[in-house]
Amino acid sequence: MAMQDAASTRRATAIRTDGRARRPDLVRRRRLNVLVGALSLPLFVGLWELVSRSGTVNMVLFPPPTVVATAVLEWIRSGQFFGDLLASLFRVTTGFIVGGALGILFGILTGQFPVISSLLSPLFHILRPIPPIAFVPIVILWFGLSEAGKLFLVVWGVFFTVWLSTHIGVQKVDRGLIRAALMLGTPRRQMLQEIVLLGALPYIVVGLRTAVSISFYTLVAAELAGAFAGIVYRIEIAQQNLQTGQVMGGLAALGLMSFIADRLFAALAERLVWWR
Amino acid sequence: MKLAATNSPASVEAARKQPAIQVSNLSIVFDSKRGQVIAVDRVSFDVAPGEFVCIAGPSGCGKSTVLNTIAGLEVPFEGDILVEGAPVYSPRPDVGMVFQQPHLFPWKSVRRNIAHGPRMLGKSRTEANAIADDLIAMIGLTRFADAYPSTLSGGMQQRVAIARALANQPRVLLMDEPFGALDAQTRAVMQDNLLALRDRIKATIVFVTHDIDEAIVLADRVLIMSAGPGRILREVAVKLPRPRSSSVMVEPAYLSLKKDCLDVIRAEGLRAFNQSDAN
Repeated sequence: MAMQDAASTRRATAIRTDGRARRPDLVRRRRLNVLVGALSLPLFVGLWELVSRSGTVNMVLFPPPTVVATAVLEWIRSGQFFGDLLASLFRVTTGFIVGGALGILFGILTGQFPVISSLLSPLFHILRPIPPIAFVPIVILWFGLSEAGKLFLVVWGVFFTVWLSTHIGVQKVDRGLIRAALMLGTPRRQMLQEIVLLGALPYIVVGLRTAVSISFYTLVAAELAGAFAGIVYRIEIAQQNLQTGQVMGGLAALGLMSFIADRLFAALAERLVWWR
Repeated sequence: MKLAATNSPASVEAARKQPAIQVSNLSIVFDSKRGQVIAVDRVSFDVAPGEFVCIAGPSGCGKSTVLNTIAGLEVPFEGDILVEGAPVYSPRPDVGMVFQQPHLFPWKSVRRNIAHGPRMLGKSRTEANAIADDLIAMIGLTRFADAYPSTLSGGMQQRVAIARALANQPRVLLMDEPFGALDAQTRAVMQDNLLALRDRIKATIVFVTHDIDEAIVLADRVLIMSAGPGRILREVAVKLPRPRSSSVMVEPAYLSLKKDCLDVIRAEGLRAFNQSDAN
């Protein structure tokens, strides 16, 4: 008994000194990670600059970051950048809002009413897997180079994602909640607004968030199909003029836009599902 | 019974004439892959106004189905169910229900959850909130009035669910194993809470459980059901004095009641076992 006690005490001390020794080590490792993280981008940009200027690659095709930055500054100074940015943002936001609204509307209809689901779901399930980019040729036939065609593509891409997640969300609403609501005197015609919509909201929000990035890649298809302004349109023009710096600047701008949009939506999503 | 003792002779007469719940020849048949399954077979019982009846039986004996049918939630059935003298076709606000899971609306605070029923019955937000706040005080969750359900423990959530069912002042309160998902300690506390609550509300209560102790502690009368098909085996009147608490479980009168119940259950279990053996 006494021996056992002694042994367990020894073990406890061992663990404690071990812990004391390990803690500063952990702190040091965490600091190192932060430092490395902060150095990551400068390191790779520096490497890129060195490789580009080393003469082993063609500088016209693979310009260094300094050349890219100059091209972007020129783009901004010429006044074209903000026109392009606005054109692209307009297409993405309008397409996202219209496609999202239609997706939610039809998702509720097919999720809630089996007859509407029987009518529309087979059609939607056939159309949904076709990549939106594949619609570019027919969109050009239908809409020419008009703005409507570009909106159509973004709406198309956003719609199916939001429709499907809303449909599933409505179907997955806890039956127990509906029974509880019924027992409390909730009329069936108010069930949609009182229970179903809020029950499906977490799914709808996930669908909308996925649709944010989808709206950006359908934007690329839409602007490549022919436009008169827009970030991707400018990338294409720059490519034809062999202005590789502007091409890369355009790519960076597109990435930044998409990143900011996603972060903004994530922040919004947290407020939308307020009870979590 | 309790109500009758405190009321005038006229209402005693009325109460005797009209039970709060009348179930006669209730049969429920489900379609399954192996053909029709008789879940409940010609069950009949009455519940007097203000009475607390427990339906006890093994899982799968159809006791929850009977309760859901009284609530107006279930499926087609044969027989007659009258609640307050009127046949039941759909849920009605004077019949409240507490489920095994709390089923609280996750997007509503405790207060809004409890106020939901009165709001649906046309009360103003102020009136509904006042009703809710009274009930929140009664269940001792005043500090949590603005909390969301996900932040509450299981026992607290079930207390909110009970308060929510009481907010419409139901004449009949149906409880479907409401404490079944709670741990033993919380469960005993909840039983005592319910007994105290019961002395303050006037509702008729039908409480379904598979726990014979719970049934005897709570009820004025226990209906013991058997499984396959669901039938009522025995009615046991519980004449233990009220106010009651779970400490009644050590009294000799309690123990002899429990022995009676267990004898019925054991005999039935043996019969079912021999029958399945013979098949």
